[in-house]
Order: sequence, then C-alpha cells, then structure tokens
Amino acid sequence: MPVKLLLDGAMGTQLQNLGLRPGETPELWNLTRPKDVRAVHEAYFAAGADAVYANTFGANAAKYHGDAPLEDVVAAGIGIAREAAKAAPCESRRLVALDIGPTGRLLKPSGDFEFDAAYDAFAAQVRAGAGADFIAIETMGDLYELKAAVLAARENSSLPVLATVALGEDGKLLTGASVECVAALLEGLRVDALGLNCGFGPDRMLEYVKRLAAATSLPIAVKPNAGLPQVVDGRTVFTVGPEAFASDVAALVEAGASLVGGCCGTTPAHIAAVKKAIPADASTVRPMPAERTVVTSGSRAVEIPENDTVIIGERINPTGKKKLREALSSGDVAYVLREAVSQADAGAHILDVNTGVPGIDEPAVLDATIQAVQSVTDLPLQIDTSDPKALERALRHYNGKALVNSVNGKEESLSAVLPLVAKYGGAVVALTLDESGIPPTADGRLAIAKKIVSRGAEYGLKPRDFVVDVLCLAVSAEAESANTILEALGRVKAELGCRTCLGVSNISFGLPARPLLNAAFYTMALARGLSAGIVNPLAADMMTAYRAFRALTARDLACGEWIDANKDWSPATAAVAVRASAQSRESASGESPLSDAIRHGLKADAAAAARSALAGGAKPLDVIGGGIVPALETVGKGFEAGRVFLPQLLMAAEAAGAAFDVVRAALPAQEKGSVKGPVVIATVKGDIHDIGKNICRALLENYGFKVIDLGRDVPPETVVAAARREKARLVGLSALMTTTVGAMAETVRLVHEELPGCKVTVGGAVLTADYAAKIGADNYSKDAMGLVRYAESLFAT
Amino acid sequence: MTVDLAEIARYMRMGRSVPEGALAERVEKLRDEALAAIRPARVWRRFPVEGGAIGSGGLRIEISGTLAKHLGDCRAAYLVCGTIGAAFDAFQRRVSVSSGADALIAQATGAALIEKFMDGVEDEIREELAPGESLLQRYSPGYGDFPLEAQRALLGLVDAPHAVGVSLTGSLLMVPSKSVSAIIGIRRVAPENEPETQQ
Repeated sequence: MPVKLLLDGAMGTQLQNLGLRPGETPELWNLTRPKDVRAVHEAYFAAGADAVYANTFGANAAKYHGDAPLEDVVAAGIGIAREAAKAAPCESRRLVALDIGPTGRLLKPSGDFEFDAAYDAFAAQVRAGAGADFIAIETMGDLYELKAAVLAARENSSLPVLATVALGEDGKLLTGASVECVAALLEGLRVDALGLNCGFGPDRMLEYVKRLAAATSLPIAVKPNAGLPQVVDGRTVFTVGPEAFASDVAALVEAGASLVGGCCGTTPAHIAAVKKAIPADASTVRPMPAERTVVTSGSRAVEIPENDTVIIGERINPTGKKKLREALSSGDVAYVLREAVSQADAGAHILDVNTGVPGIDEPAVLDATIQAVQSVTDLPLQIDTSDPKALERALRHYNGKALVNSVNGKEESLSAVLPLVAKYGGAVVALTLDESGIPPTADGRLAIAKKIVSRGAEYGLKPRDFVVDVLCLAVSAEAESANTILEALGRVKAELGCRTCLGVSNISFGLPARPLLNAAFYTMALARGLSAGIVNPLAADMMTAYRAFRALTARDLACGEWIDANKDWSPATAAVAVRASAQSRESASGESPLSDAIRHGLKADAAAAARSALAGGAKPLDVIGGGIVPALETVGKGFEAGRVFLPQLLMAAEAAGAAFDVVRAALPAQEKGSVKGPVVIATVKGDIHDIGKNICRALLENYGFKVIDLGRDVPPETVVAAARREKARLVGLSALMTTTVGAMAETVRLVHEELPGCKVTVGGAVLTADYAAKIGADNYSKDAMGLVRYAESLFAT
Repeated sequence: MTVDLAEIARYMRMGRSVPEGALAERVEKLRDEALAAIRPARVWRRFPVEGGAIGSGGLRIEISGTLAKHLGDCRAAYLVCGTIGAAFDAFQRRVSVSSGADALIAQATGAALIEKFMDGVEDEIREELAPGESLLQRYSPGYGDFPLEAQRALLGLVDAPHAVGVSLTGSLLMVPSKSVSAIIGIRRVAPENEPETQQ
C-alpha cells in the first residue's frame, strides 16, 4: 500500500535542541525566533516530507498564556511553515497543517473544564489557522476533548481533518478509551483520517494499528516517538535511531497505515530513513473491515451485534414512573444516578435516557441528565427524545458516539433527526411508522424502514447506522402483533442489513402476569435475531430469558455467564440462607435478628429480618418503632461516643434503610407520608469533591429524610431555585477547599436573602464552627451524624 | 501494588482498629475493584535551585517561607507528580451513588493507594541519586505557607498534563483527585558519613 502522505517528525524536541527551555512557550518562537522554526520545517521538507505541522501545538486559548495575541502566534506559525513549503523541493507535496494539541485541562466530570469552553479554545485556534492546507489534531488523551476539537475544526473551517490520539502504556487513552472507541467516535464525526501519535515507539504501535485497521475504513495515520523516553543525566532522550525506526514504520504501513511521520525524538534523519525504506510504488490494497454498528461512551465501545444481542436498560424513562418524574422535576440527580448504576450492575449494555416530563425545560434537563449519568457509568447511552432541540444539545455534549432514539418515517422527523446523526455521529433507532401510522403488516413496516435507510443515505448514513424498531403493539389489542413483529425482525436483518431493537414489554399490555408473557416473547424475539432488547434489566425473568438464550445458542461460551448468574440457584435459595444466618446470630447475641442485622451493617439480612417479622404478624409501625429505630439509635450513640466508626455507622444506616423500605411497602398508603424533610443538599460551586456530601445524603436518607441532592459544583442560584421549588426548610452545603468557601459564603447569603426562614447548615474539611458563623450559616456540623441530629431537631419543631 | 485493610482503616479515621466482619468484606471487595480501576502514572524532573527559585520564564517556583526553611541549603530538588488516574474517580463516583459507606471506603482506599504509590516513586527516584545525596521529605503546595498557586508552575515544569494526565481545576484542585505533586529537596552530605534517607 503506498504511503499517501509522508508527514514530518518532531517539532518540540527539535526546538529543545535549539535552546527551548522547560517552561518556555514554544509557539512564541514563531514571533521571536522564526528563522529557527523555519529551519526545522525546511529540514523535514528536505528529508522528503510531503507535509509539515506548523508550530501551533499548544496555541489554544485554554493553554496559551503568552503576551502576544494568540491569533498572531498561530498565523505566524502557519506563515513560517508556508514559506518553508514554498522553498521545498518540488517532488514534495509541500502541505502545511494547523497543529492542534490538547488544552492541558481535564474536562468534566473528572475535571472542571466545560466541553463548550474546550470547544471555544479550539475554535479560536482553527479560525486563526485558516491559511493551512489541513488540520492535524494530535496527542489527544481524552475522547471528550477530542470530540470538542473535531467539532471546532468542522464548524469553523472546511479544511480536511486528521485526528490522532496518544495511547498510554496499557494501550488505552488516559481516560480509558480503546482504539476501537476512538475509531467509532472519529468515524461518526466524519474526520478524513485518524490514527496514533506519541505515546510510544513504532514497534509497540503495531498491535494497535492492526486493531484500528479492523475497526475503520478511514485512512490511518501514525506518528510514533523514537522509542520510549529515557532519562540520561537529567535529560529526556529517545534512543531509536533512523534505520530501526524506519523498519518498524514499514511494518505499520504493511498493517494499514498510509500517512506516516514521527513524534517526540524523531528528526529529519528519521523521516529521510522512512522515505527510503518504504517504496512509493508498493501497492497492497488494504482490506476493508466488516460493517459494524458500534456506539460508545467516553471509554467503552459496545457493538450492537449481527449475531448476538445486547440489553438496552429502559428504566430512565418517566412514562408511568411517578418517582422518576418527581426526581427529574426537582433536579434530584441522585435518584436518576441510582437507576443508572443499578441497571449497569444488573447487566445492561446500553442505557436509555428519556427526560420527557411535561412542563420541564427538556433540552436543559436532558443535557444535564446525560452528563450526570455519564459521570457514574461507562455504558453508552441511548438519547431518547422527540424534541430535536433537546436531541442536538444532548448529542453535542454527549461523551462518545450515542445511540439516538429515534427517527421515524414522517417527513418532519426525517428532516430533523437525520442531519443531526450525520453531524454528530451515532447510530439511530428507526421506528417503522409514518404519517399514516403503524402499518399492520411486516411488509408495510419493512417499506418504512427501507424509506428511512434510503433517506439516511442522502446524508451519508449507511444501513449499519440504523437500528430498526419494528414496534411492539399489545397482543391483547392486536391479535397478530407478535407474529408480525417476529416476521419483520427476520426480514429487516435479511433484506436491509440493519440491526434491530424492540421495546419488548409493550407486548403484554392489558394482560395479567405481564412479566411471564414478556419473558416468553423476549425469548421468541431473540430466536428471530433481535439485536437489542429495550428491557428492564432488574426484571429477573427478562435477564433469565437473555442468559438462557445465549447459553442455549452457543453465544455464552461454556455457559460461563449462565453459571455465574445461577451458581447459587435452588428453588428457595435466598430465603433459607438468610434465615439461617440471622438465626445463628440471634442465638449468639440474644438480640432480635433485625437489630442484630442493622448493628452489623448487613443490608440483605436486615431486609429479610423485617420481611420475616412482618410475615410473623408484627405490625409495620411496631417493626419501625420497636426494631429499626432503636437499633439505629444504639449505633448512632456508639458513633458519638467514639465506639463505632463512620463506615460502620453508614453500613448500619444502610441496613436500617433497607429494612425500612420493606416495612414502608407494607404500610397502608395513608401512613406512608411520614417522610421528614425535604433537605436540599449540594457541594458548592467550584468544588468537585463531593464525598462528604454523599455521606451526609446517605445518612439523612436512612434516617428517614427526603433528600434533594443537587450534586457538585452547584451555583448559588440553582440551590435557591431548588429550595424554593421544594419549599425546603433546610439547605446543606459542603465545601472541601479553602478556594471554594467563598462560593459557600455567597450561597448562604443568597439563600438567606431570597428565602427567609430557610436554614443553612454547612460542613466540609476546611470549615470550622467559627468560620461557619462568620459566613452566616445557621449551623455547622462536624460530621454526618451531627447533621442528622440538627435536621431532627429542626424538623421536630 | 496493593494496600491492606489496616492502611485503609486509617484513612477512614478508625485509628488502629482493623475492619472485621461485614465491613472487612466490603472493604476487600471495593479494594479489589479499585485496584482494577487504577492506572498509576508518575513523572519527575530534577531542577537546580537557583536565585531563590526553581524553574524559569513563566514557570517559576519562588522558594520562601516554610518551603525555604524545609529545603535549607539544598542546591537541587526534584519536582514530582503522581496519580492513580481518572478511572479511579469514575469508580468512586459510581460506588458513591448507592452507598455512603462505599463512598467512604472508596475514598479511603484511593488515599491509601496514592500514598503507597508515591512512596514507591520516591524509592525509584533514590535509585538515580548520586553518591552522597539523599532525599528530603515531600513538600507540597498547600503545606505551611507554600501557596497553592505554585501548583501551576510545579505541574507545568514536569509537563504533568501530558506526562501523567494531571491538571488543575479553576480552583487549583488537582484532577484526577487522587494525585500528589511535591518538591523533594536533594541533600548533599560528605560521602563517608552518608545517612539513611528520612522516611
């Protein structure tokens, strides 16, 4: 395979050889020492490079802090490279790239840098570099930042974009993404070439170039280092010489790379050696990889497979779920996050996120919810909305390549959704309905699916970008519904080459024993090739159907997953085991099983003991008043006396909470309203460490308080708005750093000003009672138990 | 790398108590998950101490106050930065969603792991010391009157964002959260009475 472009080698290490000192801004040399910069470019052209990267790597608005305007530095960099290109030998292609490196800031959720701020930083650089021939985004270690850079390039210029990432020692990005993840994202964003640079030498890159070649049909670029950096006499040196480098690079070309150059430690001699080693007339044709449907998060790629099946968790959808509706309306992030984590733990591969509650600002809430969910799970998400504005905002800020739910055959939907999928990348669920409704036959549904796929082609989308949903109607209303679905599932796959998905549980609507019917139908759909079931992964029957299907059809190798999920199975496993362990402790300690389980922090045992107390005839309120509360009180007093430590207190509180949930479920409806609160809690603006706040939330909840948890880095206005909406009498604020207590003071002030009568309690590592009083807080708690005591006293009045 | 339950317990403010029973099981389980999530990385560079400062140009750490007292007459120092990685933070966020106890255990486990890791990094650095040189204890921005603002220069001088993926938030927090940056002074003594390095 011929090398399409021979790229240049290192700039930074060359400038260091010319005297660049640590801490000096290399890009300033474009203004102060242009001849030296030009000399580096000229040497690469003379060595045979077709393209050089201008000296603009760190000239983005977030990283660059020089005295000269950023625009001047970038423009001068391009100008110098252009001069060198003009003087280059004429057999060279003489191209100049605008070089874009990372901002050096960590984006949310791990850091505090906003995606939009990263975008703006890159966009300014792109606009200033308009004189280049193409844009080279390189050394990216975070998929999310990479997405911001590519979007900035795409939206602020029409130049071709080449994007490469730097892998760590373990072959992944700093944020954990694999090369398959990178390829899926970049293909979705329509870059012109993608690949690897920096990180390590060409020998170690081979494995990853092979994997990239299997994952993408785009041209692959490589710019390896001259080996791994080594420190000799306090200086960083790279030890792989030109000949060895070139011979390893030849292997990368053999594996599929077609744009090659060098990164740290490489010199014009390395590039000359590559030119010599790789014959320009080599003509191996790179085999194209199979068409696959892949979606990703920021660190995990999930294939919606042709010959297997994945689970899309359906629970983050407020339709018919009162608690979730309330949580979304009140900004109670924690509730939504628990739904996300529990589905991931139960085995979901992708999570649906729908925030369509009447009366809320769906674009804002969907955007915030997606970002919050992505902060606690690495599963790819299915963005579920019928509002194109909400879809665009969520797709733009989504970290990775999303699954979009959905487009349908109506003109309005096609023209709104398809361009967004084409722009941001993603796979999209195609609903087989149009202006005339849902066709009753498989033929009719297939015709709509065909129309959607062919309209997609106009936007550059391929059949693999669609996941067709042939729509599940209740068999109680449409007798032939299941038969039609099963026929259509098979035909979509055979005739369109698209993957399929289905909201399985609609089938049983209006009938008794729905879980049984759902599981049976799910199994039938799987047997017809369903690629993705949109199901409740917490429903045991559904997970059993999924695992059984895979075990029975040789998809679960050696039945490993089945065995793992069922190794403890027996007709009455759970109840027997728990009773036995609870009884054995009762005899040892003389306590009731319930208080014993709570004291020892055994969640499952506490729930089981509460269940068995109720089954034994105890009244629900007696179980609370005579069992749960005294046991928790004992532990709480032990903590205050220093006999019990915080982790033990928290585990006991969680066990009490589990028992309390069991009892509450048994209470008549009119007695359930005895929840205390609400308490609105938040970590203040600028502070992203929320451990203390989370501990307080857990303890408050387990002491029976309703908690609205606004999360971390929360602006004062948001706290006030939530407290006002919830009519909260207590706001709890946490701050860890001396640098963020200012934001706490401002929040206290604003709450008091806007909501007279609402108390504010504060806590956090750097706070003291004196300081709390100074900023006007009504209370200071030194720990979570102190907060519970304060809340109890406040709500007792 | 691993840490034992007693070390984690110390970071849960349990003093000398060692977790038992259900707590011990939880700590062990979360520790194993944490170990699978961490991606330790470190970088260090040796700098001369010149003109009351380390570094030059836009990246300069002034040596004064308690830092000056700590470094004494050191003529060189290492700047070091290490982290157990962003994936640990993601792990901690995930387990914190459903359990305050898990949140606390994860936090303590991370703290114990980064401390242990940094101790190992110091051992690595000692390998490259010249005869007669030994290391002072780590001294980090925020200790004494050594200002947090010095983080910018410190991380910049070792190119921490690129080298190990550690950067600063607007309020000067290091991210990933379980990261350590420090100055380690190099003390020179006569080779014949070379003392053991301080621990």
